[in-house]
Amino acid sequence: MLITKTTITDIVTAISSHVKDKAALITIAEHTEIDLEHLVKALKEAGIPFMGGLFPKVIHGNTILDKGIVINTLDNLESLFVIKGISTAVFDIPDFDFNPNNDYSLFTYVDGLTSNISNYLSALYIKYGMQTNYLGGGAGSLSLEQKPCVFTNEGIFKDAAVVAILKMASRIGVRHGWKKVGGPFIVTKADGNIIKEINWKNPFEVYRQIVETHSGRVFTDDNFFDIAKGYPFGILKEDAECVVRDPLMLNEQQELVCVGELEDNMLVDILHGNTTSLIEAARTATYDSVTQASAPKKAIIIDCISRILFLEEDFDRELKAITSTIKEAFPEVSIGGALTLGEISSYGEGFLEFYNKTTVVGLFE
Amino acid sequence: MKTEHHILDILQLHEYGMAIGQTLEYKKSCDLFLTLLLKRKNLNAAWIIEKQDAQLLTTYAIPIGNKPQPRVLIKDFEMLDDINDHLILKSFDHLQELTPITLEEGRLAIFSLKEQGYLFLYSKKDNISSRDMAQIQPVIDKFCVHLKACNAFKEQENLLKDLEAQNQELSDYAHMVSHDLKSPLRSIEALLSWLKEDYKEALGAKGVQEIDHIGKHLEKMEALITGILHYSSIDRDLSKQRPIDLNLLLDEIVGVLRPPHHISVEVQKLPTITADRFKIQQLFQNLLTNAIVNLDKPQGHIEIQFENDGGEGHFIVSDNGKGINPSYFNKIFEIFQKLENNSTSTGIGLSIVKKIVHFYGGNIWLESEEGVGTRFFFTLPDTL
Repeated sequence: MLITKTTITDIVTAISSHVKDKAALITIAEHTEIDLEHLVKALKEAGIPFMGGLFPKVIHGNTILDKGIVINTLDNLESLFVIKGISTAVFDIPDFDFNPNNDYSLFTYVDGLTSNISNYLSALYIKYGMQTNYLGGGAGSLSLEQKPCVFTNEGIFKDAAVVAILKMASRIGVRHGWKKVGGPFIVTKADGNIIKEINWKNPFEVYRQIVETHSGRVFTDDNFFDIAKGYPFGILKEDAECVVRDPLMLNEQQELVCVGELEDNMLVDILHGNTTSLIEAARTATYDSVTQASAPKKAIIIDCISRILFLEEDFDRELKAITSTIKEAFPEVSIGGALTLGEISSYGEGFLEFYNKTTVVGLFE
Repeated sequence: MKTEHHILDILQLHEYGMAIGQTLEYKKSCDLFLTLLLKRKNLNAAWIIEKQDAQLLTTYAIPIGNKPQPRVLIKDFEMLDDINDHLILKSFDHLQELTPITLEEGRLAIFSLKEQGYLFLYSKKDNISSRDMAQIQPVIDKFCVHLKACNAFKEQENLLKDLEAQNQELSDYAHMVSHDLKSPLRSIEALLSWLKEDYKEALGAKGVQEIDHIGKHLEKMEALITGILHYSSIDRDLSKQRPIDLNLLLDEIVGVLRPPHHISVEVQKLPTITADRFKIQQLFQNLLTNAIVNLDKPQGHIEIQFENDGGEGHFIVSDNGKGINPSYFNKIFEIFQKLENNSTSTGIGLSIVKKIVHFYGGNIWLESEEGVGTRFFFTLPDTL
């Protein structure tokens, strides 16, 4: 359900009547004109269990919105909790007793601008392993200013993640469509989300050489992101699509600041995509989830905000490719989601990863 | 294309290899290497099983697993002994007892880690191939050697902790016993004094003399117990550090000791240090007492000085006494060791000196010539 109302009472009434006595997944576009603290307080007073996040844009059906609230019912909610202090890497993942005879799905929104997100995802997988599927995304503002952006009945938080464990099956597809144009390179020195050296050289020197040659464009003082948004890095994985890392800017030392962490000695390629390959990847991700599903009730799309920045008006075609693939197979399924700062899923049910520039489609049964 | 694949394989092995050996902590080492392996190879689980006594125990697992660990006997899984390097299995129902998670279909690779047990890698898909596993075998061998180092480090840490605990217990025991012994000793002293006063006539001169002998032995015993008490207290009371002008302190000590008239004590310019005043007083008092009792010359001379040689500097206490044979240089610092049967000596004084010097991070040594004299040198780096 999409809510475009802006008065807190109307929003709470709409959510309450939509989810009835169940819990709500609340996905809010960052320019929605509401007082989030007030909303969280009102929902808490109304006795509605909920979790949610603030995102650059939200998806409802075939529409992308800068303003609006997308509501999904969290059916069969088993556990809902907050993990605080993601950047400190000092936190506990609560115990949960999974019944081996049931299917589970874990949904998480994490502050996409905090550090150590990969460590948080590792901690989730180490604790819960293969007993559940995982899906989620990075919340936050496109201004890249870190502020409280995830919330539950406990309040609104930054440097935190909110988690819901649902007793329901999910079918997940993950693709990005970026292809190698240079590499492999060794990240010989990294610190968090900053690449400090590639092949023992300044990283921008290496990056610039490949990208300028391939694109035919020249980096100047003010066009880094304009070119770089089409040339992300890919962390190599065997027998699977690489994990994309988005170069965001150069710091004063001409080092590359990325979205998401990198580690020393990682192998990376420099990637490039085009409209066709990206849209095709989104369609394939959807197809991967659709072919596994039998009777899904809802679809949640987690798509990277940088894909819309790259595809621009063609992003409508990507969204249509996703929604039409779902609707062709399951016409009754409701579709919602968010354009996120990083995407979360387990590739083919393997280890959990934090992606950039990627499309994740989850069908919930 | 083939060359490019080879380069990629080598670079990937380089990444795995570099993830090993970054820490000596067992769990952290496993986290770093095995998480990377799971991510890059898109695997689902990894765990390590070690042989302990007659059992097989899981010592590490990602994910940590949902199954209670049963008692698994080594003799029931003798097939593991046949693994030289690694083994890949497509069917593994018979190994469910060895797995922290419930395995479904897929592939299971088992690597021998020699004395460090076995590493299991599991994938729900069929992406564990003989070629891949043979390729990472050298990296697993490196991981195995590193785990051995982790275990040795852990063992060493445990030994150190045990030793520290035992030392503390011993020190507490010595402190308690010496403290408790003082009370009955004082009662005996009081009773003897009453006995001497009340039955002086009945005891006669010889009896009184014997009682005086008992009194002297009691004094010695009290000195001995006080020494043990001081010795066991040196590591305590870390909070009493304050500046001490050693020139003033030495004046006080010499005043208290009152050396006989034929012995002169010369104190050169000494520094001000920061330490527990009582400990430093004990240190100098014991060294001076030792020098005084060993002075056999008609004109005895003791000198205390500090030499700053550009480094941390050292103190010197020298005398022109009997001197010590070099074969006893170490023995004199051992507790209850006396070089001669001197009734006034307890054999604790120099061992207290050595313990105080060590407490302040220093060293003590000596030069001596029999019949000529002795020079004790010591440093107190943590006080300067």
